[in-house]
Amino acid sequence: MNAVSVRNLNVRFDDQVILERLSFNIPQKSITAIIGPNGSGKTTLLKAMLGLIPYQGEVLILGKEISQSFEKIAYVPQRFSFDKSFPITVDEFLNLEISKQGRKKSNINTKLKEVGMEKSGQQLLGQLSGGQLQRVLIAKSLLNNPKILFLDEPAAGIDLKGERSFYELIKHLNEEHGVTIILVSHEMDIVYNYATSVVCLNKQMLCFGKPKKVLTDQMLKQLYDENITLYQHKVDKHG
Amino acid sequence: MAFFGDGIAHASLAGIAIAILADLNPILIAIVFSIIIALIIYLLEKKTSLSSDTIIGIFFTASMSLGVLLISFKEGYQPELISFLFGNILAIRVFELYLIVILAISILTFLILFFRKITLVVFDRETAYISGINVTAIEITLYLALAVSIVLGVKILGIVLVSALLIIPASIAKLVASSFKGLVVASVILSEIIVILGIFLSYYFNWPTGATIVLTGTAWFIVTFIFSKILKFKSS
Repeated sequence: MNAVSVRNLNVRFDDQVILERLSFNIPQKSITAIIGPNGSGKTTLLKAMLGLIPYQGEVLILGKEISQSFEKIAYVPQRFSFDKSFPITVDEFLNLEISKQGRKKSNINTKLKEVGMEKSGQQLLGQLSGGQLQRVLIAKSLLNNPKILFLDEPAAGIDLKGERSFYELIKHLNEEHGVTIILVSHEMDIVYNYATSVVCLNKQMLCFGKPKKVLTDQMLKQLYDENITLYQHKVDKHG
Repeated sequence: MAFFGDGIAHASLAGIAIAILADLNPILIAIVFSIIIALIIYLLEKKTSLSSDTIIGIFFTASMSLGVLLISFKEGYQPELISFLFGNILAIRVFELYLIVILAISILTFLILFFRKITLVVFDRETAYISGINVTAIEITLYLALAVSIVLGVKILGIVLVSALLIIPASIAKLVASSFKGLVVASVILSEIIVILGIFLSYYFNWPTGATIVLTGTAWFIVTFIFSKILKFKSS
């Protein structure tokens, strides 16, 4: 069974076509990146898959409608905008998550440790850096042990070092816990080094497959309408 | 939400005017009217591209104008109207007191039972939806609870001043609280203290109750704000 199955997906806002006739299957335990230029519909596709916006077509999450799959998925939005002066601790924030397995303190501590934020429980959410906040959001999303994690440009606003360690965390979740990762990204090097499959998008789907196979110079030119060549760098895991 | 509170309070004048003209209980009709307005505001916020401020601003001024227009049809001095505009705790009737107690307990029960869900929805409605929360149901109930709470406070503080009770205690609590739990507890305790202290001062100095309560809260906020800045400056 596929993690996500999309069939003939169309999204329109008023008369404007945002996404047109998309069909693809995302396998379980994969890291799938959705890439494309600005305005190509990446975030729209993610939101359609999550049922956050209306669409035509079919989206199945682990073979079921999204409304029947909430317990198996988690989502980290692109911008988690909140009043930074609002006095809520990390522990309290995580405790808000609804879980059938209970919101045990030990569970919260385990997840915070998992994302390297074990000492932040009593810190105020508004005082965290961008990278720390993203890690806390990941910890929150993991509380219900999801099978699929949706991330919308998760490293936006994080410095290079933080970005790399963040993606190492994503890779760890995928490899060690078998979580399917579906993320929107515009960082080609990250996609190339971490993703196991890629959806190239520009209102229509231009390619789908393994990054090293489908992200050719020709495809990138078609996608971004300019000459782009990828040079592969080896990622230092401890960097 | 502060502007929503202010808007609902002012909009309730139309309900009060209808009740005065039809010789019905003003609080009861104002509650029904504010619920209708709150539902319309919610629907327009979700179904149109109009901003929340625009919708509330239009309804608040239109309903208040309707109230003024309706009241002009009633001849003579309207003491009850003045008590609704500026508040008069002594004008609360026994029936209204029972109504306030029953509705306040209902609202408190809703807030306690759905505390986590409400907070999550207010923080981020998309992730709340993905968590399996019925976001629409929670939002509508919260709007209605807020609308009813505001109208219940109208007789004490008046249409013009009632939104101060939504804003001032929470703002003071935000200055001193170091956790969400602390914020909620401090807001509730501060509200009670400010209202009781305001009533005491208004009785002692023979001042208008609503205005005295709001000024008590404002003074407390200013003092807390200055102290919090001094403490922050010393610790840095």
